[in-house]
Amino acid sequence: MTVTALVLGPILAGFLLYAVPRDRARVATVLAALVAALTFVLAIADAHAADASLRWLSRPFAASFHLGLGPISYWLVLLLSLATFGGALALSGPRARNVAAQLLILQGAMNGVFLAKDVLLFALFWDLMLIPVFLVLIEAGPHARSAWKYLIYNLAGGLALLLATAAFGVVAGTTDLIGNPNAHVVIGATWGGWIFAGFALAFLIKTPVFPFHTWMPDTYADLPSSAVAVVSAVQSKAGLYGFLAIALPFLGEQMLQARTLMFVLGTIALVYGALAALAERDAKRVVAYSSLSHLGLILIAIFSGSPLALQGAVVYIVAHGLFSAALFLTLGAVEQREETRDLTRLGGLGVRNPKLAGALMLGALAALGLPGLAGFSGEILILTGIFENGFVWPAIVTLIAIVLASAYMLRLFQGIMNGPELPDLPERRDMTWIEGLAIAPLVAGFVLLGLNPAPVITSHATITAAENTRVVGSR
Amino acid sequence: MSSALGNLPSSADYAALLPAFIVAIVPLLILFVDLFYRESGKWRRVVATGIAVVWLIVAAVLQGMQYPHDYAAFGGAFVQGGFSIVFSEIVIVATIATLMLSIGVGRDDQVAGTTALLLWSASGAMLMAGASNLMIVFLGLELLSLGLYCLCAMSKRPTARESALKYLILSSMASAFLLYGSALLFGATGSVGFAALAAATVTPLLALGAGLFIVGLAFKLSLVPFHAWTPDVYEGAPLPITAFMSVATKAGTLAVLARFAYAALPSDRAAAILAPLWVLAALSMVIGNLGALAQTDMKRLLAYSGIAQVGYIVTAFAGTTALGLRYAILYLAGYMFMNLGAFAVVALMARDGDAVVGLPRFAGLAYRRPWLAVAMTFFLIGLAGLPPTIGFTGKILILAASVGAGYAWLAGVLILGTAISAYVYFKIVRVMFAQVDAAHVRDERSPSALPWVAVAVCAAATLVLGLVPFTPSNVLPLVK
Repeated sequence: MTVTALVLGPILAGFLLYAVPRDRARVATVLAALVAALTFVLAIADAHAADASLRWLSRPFAASFHLGLGPISYWLVLLLSLATFGGALALSGPRARNVAAQLLILQGAMNGVFLAKDVLLFALFWDLMLIPVFLVLIEAGPHARSAWKYLIYNLAGGLALLLATAAFGVVAGTTDLIGNPNAHVVIGATWGGWIFAGFALAFLIKTPVFPFHTWMPDTYADLPSSAVAVVSAVQSKAGLYGFLAIALPFLGEQMLQARTLMFVLGTIALVYGALAALAERDAKRVVAYSSLSHLGLILIAIFSGSPLALQGAVVYIVAHGLFSAALFLTLGAVEQREETRDLTRLGGLGVRNPKLAGALMLGALAALGLPGLAGFSGEILILTGIFENGFVWPAIVTLIAIVLASAYMLRLFQGIMNGPELPDLPERRDMTWIEGLAIAPLVAGFVLLGLNPAPVITSHATITAAENTRVVGSR
Repeated sequence: MSSALGNLPSSADYAALLPAFIVAIVPLLILFVDLFYRESGKWRRVVATGIAVVWLIVAAVLQGMQYPHDYAAFGGAFVQGGFSIVFSEIVIVATIATLMLSIGVGRDDQVAGTTALLLWSASGAMLMAGASNLMIVFLGLELLSLGLYCLCAMSKRPTARESALKYLILSSMASAFLLYGSALLFGATGSVGFAALAAATVTPLLALGAGLFIVGLAFKLSLVPFHAWTPDVYEGAPLPITAFMSVATKAGTLAVLARFAYAALPSDRAAAILAPLWVLAALSMVIGNLGALAQTDMKRLLAYSGIAQVGYIVTAFAGTTALGLRYAILYLAGYMFMNLGAFAVVALMARDGDAVVGLPRFAGLAYRRPWLAVAMTFFLIGLAGLPPTIGFTGKILILAASVGAGYAWLAGVLILGTAISAYVYFKIVRVMFAQVDAAHVRDERSPSALPWVAVAVCAAATLVLGLVPFTPSNVLPLVK
């Protein structure tokens, strides 16, 4: 019941939000935030909710509408509700009601992705979550081109996923397998490579990882900050979650074969993202490229086959979600005040806007991996794990990229907050309490997780995932 | 009793034909009743349409009652049973939807005539659904086409004449292919029955006949490269007739194709004879969607999209598996609802139900008429194969069936075609939702709310079929 409510509740609420008159946008955004807060409370209160399952197909393979909270998905659902809460509260402008409604629909669809215990249902929600983002991009984005780029890239991935799912179902006989510890599915060598390729393509595009990343900076730049907080914090994790939940248990052999390729792609993303973030002038694109870099790190961790690195990957997935949502919301607040995101035109805001500067500082510090904040816990686990498994070179490259992270994050902060006050910037008020309320839960999240990452690390799922990597094995 | 009468048809034979017969005879009733109206008026239209709808429902119910009892009537020329009934019901639903869209189209004093022609066409498609004999196939096909030639010309627009003439000439050509193929098949086997064809040994003559027969059907299905007539004919014809052609003609022809592929070819050689058909399907999926990319007129766009959609359905036949046939029927039903839904939305946007509706007319629809925009988006999402619609579920089932039958390459082409089609359908979504200055857009409304009923029913069916993909399990035995 709880799991069904987590998926269908936000979707229905999203449609109902269209009943709010368009000029009462504040009512709509507060309602949307309330719904997101409710899902958070619901997930916390009923953390051991029973699965909900309903038969869907019996031929040509068995499939069910099977939803259930797994241990990784539990954290992702919480993260998503926090990001949606913040995103909805921070909304403003003429399209705020529509964007709030689409955010809720997106939340429901993504909850579906994370709660699906059936690969076909996973694919259904995977394709479904395209639509709200596309609609927000064409309704509220400045360029139609980025909407097309987003749609074409992600739909290509979605269709590859669909074909792979169909083949997976035919070979395995059932798709009702995710998170089932008793599932023993052996995908033979004939099909395994193709099926894995289909899944991997979808996951790599969604994450995104080099060379499939070119849609991402445009999409992140053109989406309203509230939407990009959700998309970057959570939707980008869907691909990584897919690797953990589907590829790791059922396609371990193929993951082992693809390890070198993924290491190469991951390190390229890591370094290229960091360098691009150093050179970029658009503040939102800086954070977008930093995401590319960070997510490359998680990809390496997942394919390293080290249980420690895998635990680190789960921590870092949650941590990155928290700080990237906080960063994008803060940048959104800056953009709303100054009507630009260009680092060369901004500067000296910190003097008049100390609260805003504080929020941006906290987000940037978490992103550059300051010990004590969540980013660090994930990075140290991943680095140790990779190194322990004997992958010295990836560990060294990762380390360099982490050093670069300090450079571009501080450049971002300094470019906006430090330096002389620019005379042509109009004087605006500091962060409002609503903006503070939107960002506070995210900041609290990455501070707490940095102080004590144990709940995420020891959660049952992470261990299962680590156990499963025995299939992958160490080098 | 019946044995004493030898080959004379029994009452059971006529009972099997009854639903198609009702649909063929009711037009006479409609025309007769219409004689009593002296002047044009709204009631004239309501009565003609009302009689047609009531009797179509009667035929549908009678048909449904016959579902479990398959019966080969007239010495096996016409088989009534699960398979043919599913296709006939699809034709009937499409005809009722067409009548709903027709409210507001054309002159009131012509409605009896057009309704009669429409029903005759429908009865032809129903004959094709049950045809198990080359001659009945041809009879059904001609009955279907003759009505449509006239109906295509019913519009006031000059392109309507062009449409009708083009349809007449190219369709006759298709019939010629079909007829020549039939003649060769008869020459090779000495029989016109499908059962006899399946038992025959394969000679070059039989293979050639089968090839020509399939080409004839491919013309009617507008599979690439026999598709060139479709966009022009769809564009010129009145909107309801286009909707009818896009569903009923295809349902009837697909029934013949399925029966021919599954039941009329020697099972050991069927794969070789049918191989070119899968190439046609692959071409249709890619070229149909590529062709749709550049279209701005809704009817032309839906024509190209229909070419691709039929490619998806034929893909399900690949390997002639039992599951494939079930999924083809499921997807055909889904396609009918999604396509008719989209046509109904277009009908709601035109004052006379017959205007040329181009893409610019959709500009800002989401802000002017949000419900209509949401409905259209839902149908387009379905046609693009995205959840939560039958378009998604049907496609995954077709993919699974063709991968399972060893036609993974065809599944790959289906994915490619779908990827291209996304741009086609989302182009319309984009126009509806993008921020525009819509002041210059003509905001016409249909005079009748009846298409709304079609929109609601189609949307509900698209959603429910996607979540509960019901496929009649005992269809296959009844093909033969």
